[in-house]
Amino acid sequence: MRLSRRGLLRAGLAGTAATALGGLATGCAVPTGSTGRNMVLWYWSGGLSPKVVQNAKARYDDSMNLQAIQIGGYYRSKLMTTMTGRAHIPDIAGLKGEDMASYLPNSDQFVDLRTLGAARYRDKYLPWKWDQGIAPDGSMVGFPIDCGPVAHYYQPAVFEKAGLPHEPADVSAELDTWEKFFAAGEQLKKRLPGTFILTDALSVFGISVNQSTRRYVDEDRHFIGDQEHVRTAWDRAVEATRRGLVSKIVNGTPDNISATERGLLPSQLNASWAAGDIKLNTPRTKGKWRVAQCPGGPSNIGGSFLSITKACREPERAFELITWMLDAENQAQGFVDSVLFPSTPASYGMSELREPDAFFGGQITMDVFGPAARKIPVAFNSPYDIALGTPISDELRNFSVLGKDPDKAWKDAMSSCRRIADHVGVSY
Amino acid sequence: MATAPVVETHPAPLAAAPAPHPKKGVLSHWRLYAAISPFYLLFLAFGLIPVGFSLYLSFHRWDGLGAMEYAGLSQYRYLLADGQFWSSIGNTVVIWALATFPMIFLAMVTAVMLNSAVRFKNVYRFAFFLPNVTSIVAVAIIFGSVFSTNFGLVNALLQAVGLDQVAWLNTPWGIKVAIATLMTWQWTGYNAIIFLAGLQTIPGELYEAARMDGAGPVQTFFRITLPLLRPVLLFVLVISTVTGLQSFSEPQVLLQTTDNNSSFAGGPGHAGQTMVLYFFQQTFDNNDFGYGAAVAWGIFLVVVLFSIVNWRLVQRRGED
Amino acid sequence: MASIKGSRKRGVALHLVLVVGLLISVFPFYWAVIMSTHASTEIFSYPPKLLPGSHFAENVRHLFDNVDFFGSMANSLLVAGTVTFLVLFFDSLAAFVFAKFRFPGRRFLFALMMAIFMVPAQLQAIPQFVIMAKLGWIGSMTALVVPAAANAFGIFWMRQYMRSAIHDELLDASKLDGAGFLRQYWHVALPVVRPGLAFLGIFTFMGQWNDYAWPLIALTDPHNVTLQVALSQLNGVHGTTDYGMVMTGALLALLPLLAVFAIGAKQIIGDLGKGAIR
Repeated sequence: MRLSRRGLLRAGLAGTAATALGGLATGCAVPTGSTGRNMVLWYWSGGLSPKVVQNAKARYDDSMNLQAIQIGGYYRSKLMTTMTGRAHIPDIAGLKGEDMASYLPNSDQFVDLRTLGAARYRDKYLPWKWDQGIAPDGSMVGFPIDCGPVAHYYQPAVFEKAGLPHEPADVSAELDTWEKFFAAGEQLKKRLPGTFILTDALSVFGISVNQSTRRYVDEDRHFIGDQEHVRTAWDRAVEATRRGLVSKIVNGTPDNISATERGLLPSQLNASWAAGDIKLNTPRTKGKWRVAQCPGGPSNIGGSFLSITKACREPERAFELITWMLDAENQAQGFVDSVLFPSTPASYGMSELREPDAFFGGQITMDVFGPAARKIPVAFNSPYDIALGTPISDELRNFSVLGKDPDKAWKDAMSSCRRIADHVGVSY
Repeated sequence: MATAPVVETHPAPLAAAPAPHPKKGVLSHWRLYAAISPFYLLFLAFGLIPVGFSLYLSFHRWDGLGAMEYAGLSQYRYLLADGQFWSSIGNTVVIWALATFPMIFLAMVTAVMLNSAVRFKNVYRFAFFLPNVTSIVAVAIIFGSVFSTNFGLVNALLQAVGLDQVAWLNTPWGIKVAIATLMTWQWTGYNAIIFLAGLQTIPGELYEAARMDGAGPVQTFFRITLPLLRPVLLFVLVISTVTGLQSFSEPQVLLQTTDNNSSFAGGPGHAGQTMVLYFFQQTFDNNDFGYGAAVAWGIFLVVVLFSIVNWRLVQRRGED
Repeated sequence: MASIKGSRKRGVALHLVLVVGLLISVFPFYWAVIMSTHASTEIFSYPPKLLPGSHFAENVRHLFDNVDFFGSMANSLLVAGTVTFLVLFFDSLAAFVFAKFRFPGRRFLFALMMAIFMVPAQLQAIPQFVIMAKLGWIGSMTALVVPAAANAFGIFWMRQYMRSAIHDELLDASKLDGAGFLRQYWHVALPVVRPGLAFLGIFTFMGQWNDYAWPLIALTDPHNVTLQVALSQLNGVHGTTDYGMVMTGALLALLPLLAVFAIGAKQIIGDLGKGAIR
């Protein structure tokens, strides 16, 4: 085989041509961006009901070409990249609840939904959830999708064997404070050795903080994580650990699944969507669970929003679309399809949501989640909450898992917070 | 040493080539420059601006969306005093060492065994390749199971020989060992394939000559295989350093279930938090892109430092 | 007699060790196969399922309903194939120069390349996106192919490989025959380094095939993505992920990789003596 320089050049060109062809072949299929008719919506798998998306497409087919795109991977970083790059920004973007604090200070990237008449819809949604979509400057960035009220999942057969209340109404009424919940944990442990009411200590801390109306940083960029509400939550988690109510089992391992199936972890404090996780991870416990109110009062974990970006050419149409997709009936559909707990109280009475759930022994779980969802305390979500909350929960874990002295752990957490606060420009 | 004529008598393949045109000017080498140019052109076109941008970023505060704010050297000052960054360097290096040395040893042994004429070579080769492509979800679940406390395979073995259970994923050392095991499992076959390709360059006559001299397999390995494999070994070591010091997916998948609020935390006490995981935590959890950039440059310095040390250790004097 | 017995014993011991390694290597893969043949609800039960289930066909059907499997696979083949071809050519050419020639600036350029290689890639997404958007490449496969066409990893590898595989006498001899630079590269260097190229080819293809972070950002049209991006859309939130389907997708996506490996690996293990000098 002889090869001249020209031959080699040809080989190289073939490669380049293949590249160019690849670009061309795919280039034709690229949409030219948001024209009047195209309406690009970004969300993530499980973020909206597939059926509602499909219906929306059909319903608005005359006025727009809705392209609902599921984004995989790390959603926020893709959205932020396109926004910063000012290219290929979707018209409508889903925003995850845990990311809201980082979007809200940049409300200039989004259309203020008040200008589109959002006020008309306000009384149809949970007030606290509505407020979470509003930026510090008063403009409305996010329109409510779902929320995640926290409840007490428990296995009644185990509770009964331990001499504890076991009917949902009784558990809700008799284990309504943390103190009573811990006492029940002690009884559970005494009567059934090896059984724990809590899998880990961090959930106690997290839920307790969420039950308060304040978090780690306030509106004036001042650190409040050293104050009473956080300290109480910390002490509560420490107390639970010290009284031996917390298992040493690592979440998500076979140990955890096996212990749950064998009734050694018969209780979980978790959000509404965790029902899906329980069903998936321990399908054999079907019928063995019930749901009761969370001790210490209602709180929330998770839940997301839809927003209209500044790149959208037809905000009115987009707004019409999202208000329809997120009305009470479609939110009920979202709960049925994807365990998205509605932020529209009118959904709670609908027949689809009042179906007895066989996994929970035929209980109508809405009786627990519905009332909880209405009474969730409103807290200011600062963009610095994650940076300044993390050291505290890290140190709590050092205490509960690695056995660090809790006073030392708290002190270390506070000194980390002081350092970080200084670095990010939060007053301490 | 005295009786190592085999390598000496053979023309040393590592000797640097004589320069084809030693005395001509730069322009006369245009073919050579043209041949190496694609990499540098691509870097100029697509790499230089991002690298410059991240340098620029490291002198600012930025939340990823809003306006940037000049911060001078404060990000780097904070980096130097940041205990968590320093401990992430320690974690990374410990995990890297725990994984790399067993891995290179096992890969070398596997390659030599596969290279000696055994049957079912294809089957083995295929099997050893699989860890590198197996779905990371399945891998995470399996290794989570293997190291779980009550039902884990490792603890079952420990108990079988009369030792106590270890809460692998709940102790600082246990976490590091578990991550290093996962990495070793995933990359041994890959490195074995590299060594196999390297073994291919060793002429069979050398082995025959050694056998005639009455050298055993161990002697042959140290006198012929290892010296001639040196360039490939250097490659493996440098690559393992660069990628191993930038590892993040192994600790992330293994520890994600133990981390309640962040998939970048690296387990209890941050015992499994590598440098790149720390970078992710600062950049994406805390939205602190400016500090993230400073961390990235810190990582770069550590990687360069280690690579130079490795290079010096393996490379013989007189070569570059 | 004794020595034959001895070598047979050694052969058995060798296979014993290799079989243990084989089992350890294969088990997670086997388990992924098991997962893909069960319904999502059966996967996490304890004790784990160890035998294949009967759900495979249904998982495949769900998968094909949810993603354009073959369309995105064609994109992946196009990207990974083109990149592999370009990388093999550009990297081996540059490596040949670095391994066998002296010229002004050689050490500096090589050190520069290694330094570039060590820059953490994680922060580059945003500016790279801006560049690609300005070029109008966002959404097309060009954005994936062009930046990946040459890399330091491959140049470094081929350089190390060529240093020991290409003997200087061969180059000298070919030079006496009047061969120029490209002839030397094509006729002397390439035939000798085929095992090295095979390794680079396999792992470049694999890296491109599995790459996902940059394609996820660069490909904006959901109907025109690579396979890994398509599969990433299947991961839902909290208890809504259909793991049986996800695992089935991951397994089917692996088939082309295994084929490439089977083809390429033949080059890596040849028989002893078929090596460099002939």
